Amino acid sequence: MNSNPAKRRKLDHAQDDAEVALAAAASAGISRSTTFILEAEELLDSVCPDYDAAFAGADDLLHRIKGFIEGIEAHDQLQIAEAAAKLEKKHKIKVPFPDPRPDGTSNYKVAFAAPSKFNVVGSYVFKTMVKTQTNPAIDMVVVIPETVLQEKDYLDMRYFYKRAYYLAVIAAVLKRELGTEGQFSYEYLHGNPLCPVLVFQPNGPATSTTESKSRKSQDFRIRILPSAPEGFFPAAKLHLGASLIRKVREGESLSEATPFYNSTITAESTFFPYLKVLRQAEKKSKGFRKACVLGRIWLQQRGFRSDVAHGGFGQFEWALVLALLLQGGDKKGQAALSASLSSTQLFKAMIQFLSVTNFSEKAYIFGSAKTDLDSHIESGPILYDAARQLNFAFKMGFWSAALLHQHAKWTRSLLADNADDQFTPTFILKADVPSHSFDLIAHLDPKKASDQAGLDSRGPVWRLGSRVYRILKTALADNDMGERARVIHVKMSAYAPWAITDIPKRETALLEIGILFDPLRMARTVDRGPVAGPSAEQQQECARFRKFWGEKAELRRFEGDDARETLVWSSTTPFALCEEIVRYILGRHLKVGKELTVYGGRLPALLSLKPADTAVFNVTRKAFDVFERDIRDLDDLPLRVRQIAPVCPELRHASVSLPELDPTKSWRRPLECVISFEASGKWPESLIAIQRTKIAFLIMIGSLLEKSKPGDVRTHVGLEDSAYDDENLAFLDVLYENGPAFRLRVHSDLEESLLQRQSKNKMSEQWKRQRAATLLATFKRLYVNLPLHNQYMTTCATRFPVLSPTIRLVKHWFNAHKLSCHFTDEFIELVVLRVFLSPHPWEAPTSPSTGFTRVLAFLAHWDWRSDPLILDTSGEMTAVDRSAITTRLDAWRKIDPHMNHTVLFVATAQESSGTAWTTLDGHPKPPKVAAARMTSLAKTASRLIKDQGVGLDVRTLFVPSLKEYDVLIHLNKKVLKSTLTTYPDESADTASDPDAQQSKFKNLSIHAGQPPLPLVQHPADALFKRLDAVYSSGGPLLFFRGSGSEDTTIGAVWNPRMLARTFRVSLPTAYKPASAASIEAGKKRKASGGEVEEESGDEEGGEEEMVEVDREAILAEIARIGGEVIEKIEVKGSS
Amino acid sequence: MSAPDKDRESRGGPKFLDASRSSFEIWKLAFETLFWSRGFSVLPVSIPPLPSFPRKVVHHLYVRRSTPKIPTETDARSLFVTNVPVDSTEAHLRSLVTSLVGSGRFESATFEDERKDANNPSPVAAAQPASAAILLRVHGRKRKREEEEEEREKETLARIPNTWTRPLRRSGGTAVVLLADEKSVEQVLKAIAKAHKTKKYPTWGLTGGSATGKVPPVPPLGPAWLRAHNRLSYPDRAALQASVDAFSALFADREREAAEIAKRLRNEPDEDGFVTVTRGARTAPASQSEAEEARRRMLEKERKRKEELANFYRFQLRERRKEEQAELLKRFEDDRKKLETMRSKKGKFVPET
Repeated sequence: MNSNPAKRRKLDHAQDDAEVALAAAASAGISRSTTFILEAEELLDSVCPDYDAAFAGADDLLHRIKGFIEGIEAHDQLQIAEAAAKLEKKHKIKVPFPDPRPDGTSNYKVAFAAPSKFNVVGSYVFKTMVKTQTNPAIDMVVVIPETVLQEKDYLDMRYFYKRAYYLAVIAAVLKRELGTEGQFSYEYLHGNPLCPVLVFQPNGPATSTTESKSRKSQDFRIRILPSAPEGFFPAAKLHLGASLIRKVREGESLSEATPFYNSTITAESTFFPYLKVLRQAEKKSKGFRKACVLGRIWLQQRGFRSDVAHGGFGQFEWALVLALLLQGGDKKGQAALSASLSSTQLFKAMIQFLSVTNFSEKAYIFGSAKTDLDSHIESGPILYDAARQLNFAFKMGFWSAALLHQHAKWTRSLLADNADDQFTPTFILKADVPSHSFDLIAHLDPKKASDQAGLDSRGPVWRLGSRVYRILKTALADNDMGERARVIHVKMSAYAPWAITDIPKRETALLEIGILFDPLRMARTVDRGPVAGPSAEQQQECARFRKFWGEKAELRRFEGDDARETLVWSSTTPFALCEEIVRYILGRHLKVGKELTVYGGRLPALLSLKPADTAVFNVTRKAFDVFERDIRDLDDLPLRVRQIAPVCPELRHASVSLPELDPTKSWRRPLECVISFEASGKWPESLIAIQRTKIAFLIMIGSLLEKSKPGDVRTHVGLEDSAYDDENLAFLDVLYENGPAFRLRVHSDLEESLLQRQSKNKMSEQWKRQRAATLLATFKRLYVNLPLHNQYMTTCATRFPVLSPTIRLVKHWFNAHKLSCHFTDEFIELVVLRVFLSPHPWEAPTSPSTGFTRVLAFLAHWDWRSDPLILDTSGEMTAVDRSAITTRLDAWRKIDPHMNHTVLFVATAQESSGTAWTTLDGHPKPPKVAAARMTSLAKTASRLIKDQGVGLDVRTLFVPSLKEYDVLIHLNKKVLKSTLTTYPDESADTASDPDAQQSKFKNLSIHAGQPPLPLVQHPADALFKRLDAVYSSGGPLLFFRGSGSEDTTIGAVWNPRMLARTFRVSLPTAYKPASAASIEAGKKRKASGGEVEEESGDEEGGEEEMVEVDREAILAEIARIGGEVIEKIEVKGSS
Repeated sequence: MSAPDKDRESRGGPKFLDASRSSFEIWKLAFETLFWSRGFSVLPVSIPPLPSFPRKVVHHLYVRRSTPKIPTETDARSLFVTNVPVDSTEAHLRSLVTSLVGSGRFESATFEDERKDANNPSPVAAAQPASAAILLRVHGRKRKREEEEEEREKETLARIPNTWTRPLRRSGGTAVVLLADEKSVEQVLKAIAKAHKTKKYPTWGLTGGSATGKVPPVPPLGPAWLRAHNRLSYPDRAALQASVDAFSALFADREREAAEIAKRLRNEPDEDGFVTVTRGARTAPASQSEAEEARRRMLEKERKRKEELANFYRFQLRERRKEEQAELLKRFEDDRKKLETMRSKKGKFVPET
């Protein structure tokens, strides 16, 4: 680096280049060059709409509207019913009175006068809109003049009646003036039934003269928001505890507090003060506006909006919290955040704030408030702005505050996790799909639920929702009850806009309840309640418990514990337990039964996954331990056993079907293991000789085992289907008479170093080195990576209880879609593990169904062409490690841009080469076509899950689509079954002649009493592998099949790149002389730049004869190979 | 097309003209069939339909005189066939020839993969390290004929048994068919031409050939084939043991012999007075793994020595700091580049809906 040290020393004070650049980077505000900041900046650029284009003509329209409203004639006080009737008669417009509507006898007076003030507010003026917003609105506030209002209008909804009338008058005039230019409708401001607003949806510019009817409407809407004059109502009377709706029905009077009503009235006169607050913040902090946009996207991806139905915390609330924090929201009057923070820093600070402030449990006050607010926390979450005396979280429910808090915590943990991709889960992924987010989803029909009386102006559904939440919270999530659920969410549907000539429709949609389990406590079947002690306090506690739980509560004494109130549940799975509790407790308190539909438990039922399955896996593991001990106990082995490691999915809780322990089953997969011995110099220094020595070892282990456990164990040395002598040649099948079967292979460490030497030997030919490298990869996979993987997955299965069922579901999905023949088990397991290890934007899944849907979402989202799948299995992967892996993938893509050797790239901390699980014997597994099919299937499935919601019949996700295959090969199950049992002494003659196999006595098999041979592999697999070897891997056909014995239909597609070509001596497959049409087609393909497998140098003018793939001949060949095993070959396009 | 290919073709042409001068009719037909491409004539074979694929299919074989790059004695009476079906056996080709020109003309058939096998050395020979193999070949003592026979027998025993009763050929693979005499070659080619004319194609199957009884029957494919595979995959333990033993004995013999030769050569100058350089010490040839181990140990030592001196001098610290800075800069650049690539892809910065 330093070529001339003497000279350098003189320049010591001058900064060198690196330092200059660093300083420059620091001054530019990107001192810590994290990708997150750059990505966020990029996101901001890309989501920002072009205001000039998107809102063309908006300003002009606003001015015109202002003019029209100003021109409305004022009129004097009229009796309210009379005025409404007049309006309806004259303009056919209904006044959008809030419930309860004023009746005809009420003698409130309404008047009209031109607004005292107009202004445009909201994200339009702040330019914080984003492109993905649907139908953005420009909010125009008109202030109702003081002359038409009275100070006591804050009582008994009088203000809202007047406001509604005022709005109707404006609607009537605007409709007259602008009726031809667009549509008018009413909607509730933020879903608040007290505040209807007028919406004008302008028609788009007339584009063509031909179709004037189907003119597109503009992308934006204009909302007209009537509001109260600032400071008109006495703030002291509007505090949270005040009871302002006193007349409910005739004669009745209540003194219940009406916090929502009060806050709404307060909020009605805060449009301008808050406009000022936000303006100041924007002026003060450069990053403010962008932080608001980031916040908006973050909230939007999590389903939060200002609407009551969408959580009541949206862009406005976000901006306000941020502005107040910048302003000095803190109790000491100092600003909590510095104005010099950048947008991403502000965003992170905001996430931090939301994750530590649980304002649904303790009121959070900006500024200093004199009043004690904590007494009102029962009524809802509180974010109190002391200066304007408003709880601006008044639209939120407890559940939305809890969910927001939870999401902020998740995002914070993601942002703290420095190495992972922070950007995509934070801003890009959609995190509000119920089937992704909740383990149990229930729909409650509010119509049938008993009516909820109360004063909350948000309507009966809201009142029902909050009762449901309170009950469930007590039952499932309270500290006393041991927090069975982490999140309980209630979602109600939003109010739809309605025509100005109509009255609003009653809401009827279902109430959605979502529950996210706590992984540690979800499976508990006995809940322990309070101690039944003698003290008054304890008795009170017990009485409360009994009152809540009813007859389910019983008194029990536990060993080493006091007598306690106890709940005993009968279900076994976490899901069924939760459902049982939800049904019981809602039935008890709300008298709902059939009105409650529960979703989310259907996926595990598909595979009949049971909690007891873990026990079966454990039993299998125990059997393995016995097997290991049996081998270790053998005395006469020439080398000491170092390790016997399991290498199969059955021994890591990851096989689709449970391991088969019944020895009488004709087909069961043997449990594969590898045995390694202590290091020895006695292995011969030759690969071929090593393989023979391994056979000798296996024979020896086999006979010793049989000798040591006579009658208990049978062993068979089996030969691998290997083509060359330097590959592994044999394995040992050990069959326990009353237990599982094991398959053992021998590991020799010398083999590895020999292969390594060969693959690096520069003296030998390229193909030899290549082959040695392939063999080395196979070796490493079997003897090094697989044992490690097995160990790691077993640990993970204990760490995440639902990992095992999720893996099994996902494997079932791969199977069902005939993909599993192209994917290794380990790859699928790692993909599933990924949603557990980096679960952002959530936490690790707590039910198989959320796990499964998230895996599909991940697969749909994974751009494997450019992104590696990196799993931090050690928990301490550094950014350097990650970038090294990415670099390796880039290098692969550069060498092999068509992905003929490497397609998917999956790296873990232990296995960073990235190709151990995605290549097999030098071929990509899966090939590009299969990988693309996986992605497209996952995309379709994800879309289906998103679109159809929880009502989706999950079985449809597992129905294979056969129409994409060119050829379907149906196997004959009966014939296959007959090939399952073979006996050692069948000679070749009898095998060829089925009659010879019959013994003289029909009821006696000639092999009576003789144990059959084990199966090397299922015959269907064997046939499939042979076909695959002959026709696939660059050949004419690509086969698809699910693994296991069940899938008896092989799908196949023709290789589209094999076209008509000139004849050559060595053909890659069967060809026939080409017809003229196919030659033409081939030429066209070539001309259009399609990839065609043919050397260009091969062309020699017209004298060469053309040949094309002889598809029929190939299919006839397949039919001959399969014989009776193949029932039918179905070709697409002909029946 | 490579040069030797072209060469062959030009040689093939005149030969054919000589043969077919006798009749203009045949010549004309032959022109269509035999001059089809590169001297190949097309032999359509009709495939009988099967219940699982009930269609009449014609498979096209391409046949010409065998003209390999390295000529052999039997070239004149051989036919080169390409695009043979994957289930081809010698018996299949025999019956094909029989149906074309009658029985007694067919002698044998060699398939592509078998020819490759023939070039492969026996497993025992392949197991020897390359250097030992060379030593054995050059300096090994000449064996008598009987000894060689015996050796070969042992080698066959040392082979691992095949697990399939019948191999599948490569799709579109080739075979060389050896006929009785040169005349038969002409006749076969003529018969092909005639088949074109009459549209009577020979049938694929085992009709004529296996009837002679000399050759063993062809094992069937399908379920029996799969069953047999499973059976063959579990060979008799004693036989397998014997095979492994035979291999070990042979391997040990050869190894000892090679070692002896190496030892001898170390001391003896050859005719020209040179001493061959061979691996190992004076007493015994060193194992390669030992050498590697020693090298590893040496590197380890070196590394340790260097490590001890790390961060010792000031210049080392300075350089490290500089490296760290460069690293930071590089990361920044990397991030920017990554962003650049992300930007180039659609949808990366669009929040999902």
